[in-house]
Amino acid sequence: MKAKSAKDAHHGLPSGKLTPEERLEALRQLYLARYFDVRLIKEKKRGRLRGTLYSSHNQEAVLVGSLFGLRPYDWISPIHRDMPAFFLKDLRSGWTDPNRMGMSIEEVCAQVWGKVGSPGRARDNWSHIGSKRAHIIHSTSMLAGTIPVAAGAVLADRLNGGDAVVLTYNGEGSTAQGIFHEAINFAAIHKLPVITLVENNQWAYGTPYELGCPTKDVADRAKGYGIPGVVADGQDVFDVYDKVMVAVDYARAGKGPSIVECKTYRAYGHGDHDDDRAAKYRDPKEVARGRKRDPIAVAKARLISLGDLTKDEADKYRPEGKNASEVTDEDFPPEVVDYMKKGIEFALESPLPDPVEGGMWVFREDV
Amino acid sequence: MSAIPEQIELPKNYLSAIKEALDEEMARNEDMICLGEDIGILGGAFGVTEGLLAKYGKHRVYDMPIAEAAIVGVATGAALNGKTVMAEMQFIDFISCGFDQIVNMLATYHYRTAGDVAPGVVIRGPAGAYGGGALYHSQMNEAWFCNSPGLKVVCPSTPYDAKGLMKACLRDQNPVVFFEIKELYRKREIEQFLPEEDYIVPLGKAAVRREGTDLTLVSYGQNVWHCLTVAETLAEEGVSAEVIDLRTLVPLDEDAVFASLEKTNRVVVVNEAPMTCGFAGEVVARICDKAFPFLDAPPVRVTRMDTPVPWVKPLETYVLPSVEKILDASRRVLRY
Ligand SMILES: Cc1ncc(C[n+]2csc(CCOP(=O)(O)OP(=O)(O)O)c2C)c(N)n1
Repeated sequence: MKAKSAKDAHHGLPSGKLTPEERLEALRQLYLARYFDVRLIKEKKRGRLRGTLYSSHNQEAVLVGSLFGLRPYDWISPIHRDMPAFFLKDLRSGWTDPNRMGMSIEEVCAQVWGKVGSPGRARDNWSHIGSKRAHIIHSTSMLAGTIPVAAGAVLADRLNGGDAVVLTYNGEGSTAQGIFHEAINFAAIHKLPVITLVENNQWAYGTPYELGCPTKDVADRAKGYGIPGVVADGQDVFDVYDKVMVAVDYARAGKGPSIVECKTYRAYGHGDHDDDRAAKYRDPKEVARGRKRDPIAVAKARLISLGDLTKDEADKYRPEGKNASEVTDEDFPPEVVDYMKKGIEFALESPLPDPVEGGMWVFREDV
Repeated sequence: MSAIPEQIELPKNYLSAIKEALDEEMARNEDMICLGEDIGILGGAFGVTEGLLAKYGKHRVYDMPIAEAAIVGVATGAALNGKTVMAEMQFIDFISCGFDQIVNMLATYHYRTAGDVAPGVVIRGPAGAYGGGALYHSQMNEAWFCNSPGLKVVCPSTPYDAKGLMKACLRDQNPVVFFEIKELYRKREIEQFLPEEDYIVPLGKAAVRREGTDLTLVSYGQNVWHCLTVAETLAEEGVSAEVIDLRTLVPLDEDAVFASLEKTNRVVVVNEAPMTCGFAGEVVARICDKAFPFLDAPPVRVTRMDTPVPWVKPLETYVLPSVEKILDASRRVLRY
């Protein structure tokens, strides 16, 4: 392997400081996010799952790149299309470390299968989870509704003398909600460490970008709050990492919130129920264009150019450019497949909740 | 000349009682913070939070932007991370702007996390009509919240209760919507001497404001006082009416109502909100479900008409419950 200086290649950006091992870990996490997604699509097709799956396919670089530089105690607030974020959080501190401050794949799978092993004991579906222990704000269906909660959590952290930041995930469509404005406005006034990550995948369900957002970029909205707004290449895990790290450092230093918009593209329909209709309301040429730069392929090219990976090594696993129906387990590293398998096994073994639990926990009783 | 005492113990009005509760709880609990519009520098539109900013500083008392949803959401997040939060709605009418955050985010937190997160947030604000506040400064919208599981709903009618209930709410790690009756804030006639020592009024316990044997009048907030006037008038006619002040709507002390009915066998339930799906309907339904054998007459509701609250006095009086309307209803129930 011909190693180039990482610094040269990255012009002193945060990713330039990553070691080759860390960069390879980023690729591995991209595989993992992709495998989670395609595996659930397959499980659903086999009739083993209920509910709607909101695929993060083609958007994985946003998840991995944004989470890669966080400290374990930082908070995140993912939404429906970010399911891998729940177990990717703090994964750098070890895939098997039981004490890491992310949720485990077991907990996440138990949630997907509606079993008691999920932190919310299967009280809500799919991505509507969170964990106080893991510092993940619990999502609800109300788009953008978690941003003020995230702001409140870091406000409390600041009052306790902490320096945690919070990264909130939002689709570009959700930025039209009034609460999006209310929350960022408040965070900006108090310079709270709230990083609003916008996953601009061009479509909000059946509505294209220009019918939801009046500005050229979502990042332009930052001007209205007097905070920075930057655009990242959402297909490039290292560009996302760089831009988010700058925002994180800025926030941690007490300078306040910012918006990081990641340009990406939704691979399938809004949810799996929408795949057929999406094939009609979206121009196939646009879809092909949007999926041309698969985040896994983009990361591989970068790693090859840095000398972290040979062409042969890069070709060993090849899920990029393929749909769920076209990949097999051989397209992924075995540790990735095993990781997910453990989660599924746990979920299948975990029991359904006792029906009486449906009436429990409306109030805290011990007060 | 006689010596001037350093401090004369004076009776407290309803507003000062709440102010004292907030102040004492802020002092007692370092993790308590306050959020609301104009609550710091100004001390609140009605002066409920006067002095708190000076005493506790800007990191515990926040003048918030005019954004009710953000106030509730930030309160929820801070509570998730260990704070106890008082969130003021300048007028309870504006709570609708934060409605989603209350009913979907805050109220469901404990349930959907299977008990992991109990957000200690008290949302309080001035409520109620009778002062010519018109459509958007007169509402009693308690039923919206009683219908949203996960929220406790409280409405005091006396200074003693206002302080004791507020303290109980701030120590209860559940979200509460606390309805303050703004027409009672500075009402001289209801002022009370408050105990010097710390006390709470437990949630979920009604109070018998007047004992009686012939008729039960059930209410809360402003209309408790109307019911007491009605009871006095009836007493002159030889009728003994019992007045129950619910104080807490969720959880509801239905046993107190049933116990009273067992004596009187007749009941009028009064709420200030519109009749349709109002809280009086809930009380009547529970009586019919669980205390029907005690009844000698159909229970009757007195409520606002199903209209908004109009501005000018004659119109406002026309649509709201009043002493006359409660008296009328009582006589109907007694005659049955
Ligand atoms: C307040 C609210 N309104 C409507 C919906 C229904 N809904 C769910 S997802 C969605 C589209 C979201 O688009 P976007 O924010 O761009 O995220 P994406 O799904 O593209 O990742 C809509 C309209 C909702 N969940 N919440």
